Amino acid sequence: AAAAASIRERQTVALKRMLNFNVPHVKNSTGEPVWKVLIYDRFGQDIISPLLSVKELRDMGITLHLLLHSDRDPIPDVPAVYFVMPTEENIDRMCQDLRNQLYESYYLNFISAISRSKLEDIANAALAASAVTQVAKVFDQYLNFITLEDDMFVLCNQNKELVSYRAINRPDITDTEMETVMDTIVDSLFCFFVTLGAVPIIRCSRGTAAEMVAVKLDKKLRENLRDARNSLFTGDTLGAGQFSFQRPLLVLVDRNIDLATPLHHTWTYQALVHDVLDFHLNRVNLEESSGVENSPAGARPKRKNKKSYDLTPVDKFWQKHKGSPFPEVAESVQQELESYRAQEDEVKRLKSIMGLEGEDEGAISMLSDNTAKLTSAVSSLPELLEKKRLIDLHTNVATAVLEHIKARKLDVYFEYEEKIMSKTTLDKSLLDIISDPDAGTPEDKMRLFLIYYISAQQAPSEADLEQYKKALTDAGCNLNPLQYIKQWKAFAKMASAPASYGNTTTKPMGLLSRVMNTGSQFVMEGVKNLVLKQQNLPVTRILDNLMEMKSNPETDDYRYFDPKMLRGNDSSVPRNKNPFQEAIVFVVGGGNYIEYQNLVDYIKGKQGKHILYGCSELFNATQFIKQLSQLGQ
Amino acid sequence: MAVDITLLFRASVKTVKTRNKALGVAVGGGVDGSRDELFRRSPRPKGDFSSRAREVISHIGKLRDFLLEHRKDYINAYSHVMSEYGRMTDTERDQIDQDAQTFMRTCSEAIQQLRTQAHKEIYSQQVKEHRSAVLDFVEDYLKRVCKLYSEQRAIRVKRVVDKKRLSKLEPEPNTKARESTSSEKGSQHPSQESEEKPATEEYPEKVPAESQPELGTWGEGKGDDELSPEEIQMFEQENQRLIGEMNSLFDEVRQIEGRVVEISRLQEIFTEKVLQQEAEIDSIHQLVVGATENIKEGNEDIREAIKNNAGFRVWVLFFLVMCSFSLLFLDWYD
Repeated sequence: AAAAASIRERQTVALKRMLNFNVPHVKNSTGEPVWKVLIYDRFGQDIISPLLSVKELRDMGITLHLLLHSDRDPIPDVPAVYFVMPTEENIDRMCQDLRNQLYESYYLNFISAISRSKLEDIANAALAASAVTQVAKVFDQYLNFITLEDDMFVLCNQNKELVSYRAINRPDITDTEMETVMDTIVDSLFCFFVTLGAVPIIRCSRGTAAEMVAVKLDKKLRENLRDARNSLFTGDTLGAGQFSFQRPLLVLVDRNIDLATPLHHTWTYQALVHDVLDFHLNRVNLEESSGVENSPAGARPKRKNKKSYDLTPVDKFWQKHKGSPFPEVAESVQQELESYRAQEDEVKRLKSIMGLEGEDEGAISMLSDNTAKLTSAVSSLPELLEKKRLIDLHTNVATAVLEHIKARKLDVYFEYEEKIMSKTTLDKSLLDIISDPDAGTPEDKMRLFLIYYISAQQAPSEADLEQYKKALTDAGCNLNPLQYIKQWKAFAKMASAPASYGNTTTKPMGLLSRVMNTGSQFVMEGVKNLVLKQQNLPVTRILDNLMEMKSNPETDDYRYFDPKMLRGNDSSVPRNKNPFQEAIVFVVGGGNYIEYQNLVDYIKGKQGKHILYGCSELFNATQFIKQLSQLGQ
Repeated sequence: MAVDITLLFRASVKTVKTRNKALGVAVGGGVDGSRDELFRRSPRPKGDFSSRAREVISHIGKLRDFLLEHRKDYINAYSHVMSEYGRMTDTERDQIDQDAQTFMRTCSEAIQQLRTQAHKEIYSQQVKEHRSAVLDFVEDYLKRVCKLYSEQRAIRVKRVVDKKRLSKLEPEPNTKARESTSSEKGSQHPSQESEEKPATEEYPEKVPAESQPELGTWGEGKGDDELSPEEIQMFEQENQRLIGEMNSLFDEVRQIEGRVVEISRLQEIFTEKVLQQEAEIDSIHQLVVGATENIKEGNEDIREAIKNNAGFRVWVLFFLVMCSFSLLFLDWYD
């Protein structure tokens, strides 16, 4: 399982090596400090920011980190490490830097492979500036993807529109544009596999964008493997992976097989934060309105302070609870708060004992115990402070989420959608919910209706549809997404039967006595405590079939590619009959945390298997609805 | 995995060179390029700052090497047993401590100087940030090396304390003998006041000479007095008592020494934390001073406003009274 061990670690190690002048980094406590300057473009920034904090950059000796296209002053005698994409403008700016002699030496690192002609441009500029010896090293890093979690990655953040769902599914897309989009996706996937150090076996569904990606990726991997001199998959890059007999499975799916999941209302912590708050690249931005709502007359309105928090792997609470249902999270925060308070009290008690100690001469024997206790208390103080900070952070985030839930009645939507998706009987009619003015924003209602429409076995009758449309427009929704979904449904019907979502039940646990204890900040009155039953979303089901080599009409005619085979064939028959140990699921057209969480839950039950989840972009329901409405116009 | 294309780059440099030559384009170099480069680089401002910083770093490196080199000898507890080659006397250790401390002091002073100089020189924001970060790194390096030194020293101090503790435990008969002399001395005191002074004078002389034969002569010297069996018993009892007292005293002193070491460690931690908070407290102090001044000004303004208000009212009243009087007057006049 070493090959799939934390893509995040691999990327971090690669970055650290790059920052250490491309020499493997060894921690040395009495080493001399070396300082350097880091220059990156926006792509580089997005890649580095979820992985290395500013403090870690400092530890690596970076004194300044600057954007490539900002005004930079000459700093003599400092080596500069560049981490940029090899685009025209970046190359121009770098040549300008060389001409202006901003730094002493230059270590150029390109996020993805640079073409020969652009390399010659730099050479030209270096010659013109007589700075050839200053260019110390030039590297292709093959790091063109963003790792958000240990097992989740996204292709890019900066030029999302280029590879968005909308871009791929536009009716007016030309072939060349499609080619560019596919090339971008394939380039990133290629970099991903180079960093992972493994050549996967690719399976994809027929007739979709995923198939185009698969064909191109297979071709690219094949070319690289053939080129024995420059192959990126040999030598010490594989390491332990070389000896594993298992190659990972890459499952390429297209967003179109399951449009309901991105619209679904969710109940787990991480997915909720992504849905409801402003959350990207592991950073959540909260707008806090401090204090009392009604300010006295004449007073200036209270300023809303914006706060942003980083949710990182160091945050143990986040790691434990990012997939748990929200009420559990609320409880756990309470528990953490209580244990923190207990520890704080102990430290305070110690203080009082020491105070007493000063007056009581006779109890000298207690002194040695207390000094030891004091030492341990003092050394544990930073830990305590850190814990407090995390508790505050999560309290704020969870409170913000809770406010949204209460305001929009998201629990009602969640329950209802679960029922729709599992085709159990509905107790309230859809029309009631849509016409209910308190429940949710127009967008929520639109989402609900779209899910209903997508997962209905047969389209509702014209009269019903008109009724719904009227109710939706009354509630203030824009009907463009519906147009698109109609088209999609018609198309999807031709292709295959709509995916079913399995049977689930949600058990409302009544009014929560546990959460509503006094002193609890999370008074969730009226919010039902819903328990998520394990269900498999379509993507998870497909993965399950392919990984375990199960036979299923859905996945039987998936194409099979093996870049290591000498001759590519078009068969769908897998050569390998054993179940796979590692798999990478990549959704072309966009993914979200709900699917990710579902995959994580699925693989938790299986020992020794690993899954990585990737998507070309990460969107929440709001952004997806926007894209759909643009498509439906 | 990253691919090193530096060679590719150099190759493309060559291709570009040859291409330019072929095309006859005048590049800012060519054959003279390399020479030009050399000339170009030397008059470039070498950056006084970074060379000084590098000097400080090399000094600290020397200190670190020096400490590491002698570390083994320094903490070697059995130096008196080993051959002379590895031995290090206490004086040498003290010397090392002294030297290390002066060195560290000079280094930190140099860093301070660099910092003030960097602040004074007006450069762009980025250069300032860069320089202060560089100085932070250098200070951190110094701290790490100092930690080496203080660790060594702590081990040494602990060894000394342990040694003292052990050495006090061992010579029981010696201490007893010493006690007997002192007890004898003590018992002589009340009986012979006149001999007190010479006794006390002799005592400091006699204590260093713990040897038995001297004791014997001493004891014999005092043997002229008759020691009746009762007195012997009394003396012995007193001996025992004094021994017991001394022992308990020694125990306590030992314990206290251990605790003092711990306390000193704690003190170190506390001073570190307090120094860290110093800057924050300074800023808070400034803010509070500013706030009190603002409040004072605010009070003044409020007082003025009240006065103005009152004055205004007086004038309004006066105006109304005048108006009413004028009305009355006009009415009366007409």
